[in-house]
Amino acid sequence: MNKVFAVIRREFIERVRTRAFLIATLLGPLFFIGISVLPALLLRRESVGRRVVIVNTTSGDFGARIEAALAAAKKGTGSEAVAKYKPVRIDAASRGQEVRDSLVHITGLSKQAEGGVDGILIVDESGITTGKLTYLGANVGSPRDMDDLRQVLNPVVITERLRRAGVDPVVAMGAATPLALETRKVSEGQLTNESGGATFALAYGMSFILYIALLLYGTQVMTSVIEEKSNRIMEVLMSSLTPFQLLLGKVVGVGLVSLLQIGIWTTAAKLLRDHQSQIMRAFGASGDAAGFSLPAMSIELLAVFITFFVLGFLLYSAAYAAVGSMCNTVQETQQAQMPIMLFIIFGLMSMFALLNEPNGSLAKALSLVPPLAPFVVPVRYSIAPIPLPSLLLYVATTILGLLAIVWIAARIYRVGILSYGKKASFKDMARWIRAS
Amino acid sequence: MNDVVLQVDGVTKRFSGHTAVKHLSMQVPRGGIFGLLGPNGAGKSTTIRMIMNIILPDEGKINVLGSPSSSRALSSRIGYLPEERGLYPKMRVLDQLAFLAEVKGIARSEAKAKAAAWLERLGLGEWKLKKVQDLSKGMQQKVQFISALIHEPELVILDEPFSGLDPVNSQVMREVVIEMARQGRTVVFSTHIMEHAEQMCDRIVIIARGEKIVDGALSDIKRQFGGNHVIVAFTKNADRAMRVFEDKTLVSKVSDRGASAEVTLAPSADSDTLLATLVKEGVGLSRFELSEASLQSIFIEKVGLEAAVAPAKEMSGE
Repeated sequence: MNKVFAVIRREFIERVRTRAFLIATLLGPLFFIGISVLPALLLRRESVGRRVVIVNTTSGDFGARIEAALAAAKKGTGSEAVAKYKPVRIDAASRGQEVRDSLVHITGLSKQAEGGVDGILIVDESGITTGKLTYLGANVGSPRDMDDLRQVLNPVVITERLRRAGVDPVVAMGAATPLALETRKVSEGQLTNESGGATFALAYGMSFILYIALLLYGTQVMTSVIEEKSNRIMEVLMSSLTPFQLLLGKVVGVGLVSLLQIGIWTTAAKLLRDHQSQIMRAFGASGDAAGFSLPAMSIELLAVFITFFVLGFLLYSAAYAAVGSMCNTVQETQQAQMPIMLFIIFGLMSMFALLNEPNGSLAKALSLVPPLAPFVVPVRYSIAPIPLPSLLLYVATTILGLLAIVWIAARIYRVGILSYGKKASFKDMARWIRAS
Repeated sequence: MNDVVLQVDGVTKRFSGHTAVKHLSMQVPRGGIFGLLGPNGAGKSTTIRMIMNIILPDEGKINVLGSPSSSRALSSRIGYLPEERGLYPKMRVLDQLAFLAEVKGIARSEAKAKAAAWLERLGLGEWKLKKVQDLSKGMQQKVQFISALIHEPELVILDEPFSGLDPVNSQVMREVVIEMARQGRTVVFSTHIMEHAEQMCDRIVIIARGEKIVDGALSDIKRQFGGNHVIVAFTKNADRAMRVFEDKTLVSKVSDRGASAEVTLAPSADSDTLLATLVKEGVGLSRFELSEASLQSIFIEKVGLEAAVAPAKEMSGE
């Protein structure tokens, strides 16, 4: 047992000490900061305080109301709100065409020019009836900007039409308020504060964490076996360790590294979320700007997730180690690891089928397949609770599957690690498994 | 102290297409240095790997340290230096040695202290915190050598321990091996460099093509071959000497070294007759010395005869 512990420690320390680990660990939180702060920064930079000239050829106060609506549009709320537009209205009467052309000519629609202009909005009578207004600007390619503008202008145009039809706009607009479906998850007979979107994000997040861990670290188990083969250190190790001790130590050691890294990332993400507004302000962005948010995770779900994460990691790492022992170079593994990749991708994709029917017969069947259960069970549990007996059954079948795969992998590994030269075929593998 | 630490009984190993080791039997008594000699591809490494339980024999039995357990279970009492050298290139030297000692069952703190002491002794003290990949090949070999000895095993098995070392380092290592043997440990090493075996070994086994050819105490083997060897060095007329050596009633075998020759006398001849003949022929002699056969000549003779299927019985029956 001390020998296994020595292998675990070596795998853990040598990996944590590498520059690659340090960089990946630091890049994770930077990535979180990036995805939470960048959108807010971009919003602030791009769509605030745009100078819009309104060339008005309508009579009455339609032009003035457009101007008021633009001036009232704010980004953010409360004291941090910033005006989106700085409108200037020119009443051009019948000379709209000429005013527009000369404006384009003088300003060139360039910010560099004195009194720069971002865009020109042509407001004419036909716009009210046909619902078509013309906007000239450099930012017409930005769907987001145009959508914002449309949302500001739309109510003004509708109000004008209603008014002309003799309907009270206040009544009509009130009646036209669209239906919003608010979702709240019911879990074990209790109303939770989770919305449907948060549940999906959680399920997706868990599957994705397992997926990433397997891709990053499962393959590390594989390359580390190849490394030991190509360094020829295997023979020294084999004179003092059984193949099973080495396999166990390696898989657990690498697994602990992945838990550490994911732990650091999750903690960093949680800290960032708790202090999101301070960080935003530090970057000069509005504290309330939309960023990412982490859904809350119950203790039971966390326990289920960690249990299946560990089982899944051990299962796939053992398989990866067997593949590594069959090959002599990393290139050779590309093909040999395909069966493993298929299971991982299938596991990840099965989530989408589960979201609709978390307790359907398909979901139940997939939960009994050991390589898929680590993906399927936590996702199911996050959507709808699974009764304890079923949960224990899934854990038991996964453990049985894990033992079977470890047994097969250890037998392949035992022969594979000392065979050099040509890559083992699946026929060789079957022979190795049968060999006593 | 007459017990056997390693017993190999009728061991055969076949690989696809050829037999690497054929019915090999040998015994290694406790203490001293045991040489496993043979040309390249003779099956030395295969034998050692079977002893180390890394590969399994197809036939026969191997018993290590008189215990029914495999040598892996006994790894804390056995030191092993494989032919294929290998270390973790990115690991620090000290950590590496500590790890390799730990998997032999030594506590970590003790392992570190021992590793540091060994590195100091072999002149690698300054390198202990460097990565293995920063070391020269010779230094790496020393590190691996230490890894085989660090847990003070009672049986040390070294596969070609001195290959690839410069004369100075090779000498340092040989001294370490000799010291191990003086402490009462048993050293088994394989080599194809006969000078090393000749200087160090108490007992040898020579194998060729997987079969044992010579087995015994080095002194006994030399005695068998001894007494009929003469080393002759010439000052002039070496060509006449060569003609004398062609007389099969006097000389059975010559190994010509240019200015000198190692001559094996014919069974019926004696050295006085040879000396008289050489003087009569006018060969200028600077040296005429009766000697034991060198292990080199025994090796070449045995392995060479084996290959040529020539009258081998005549010689060994002496």
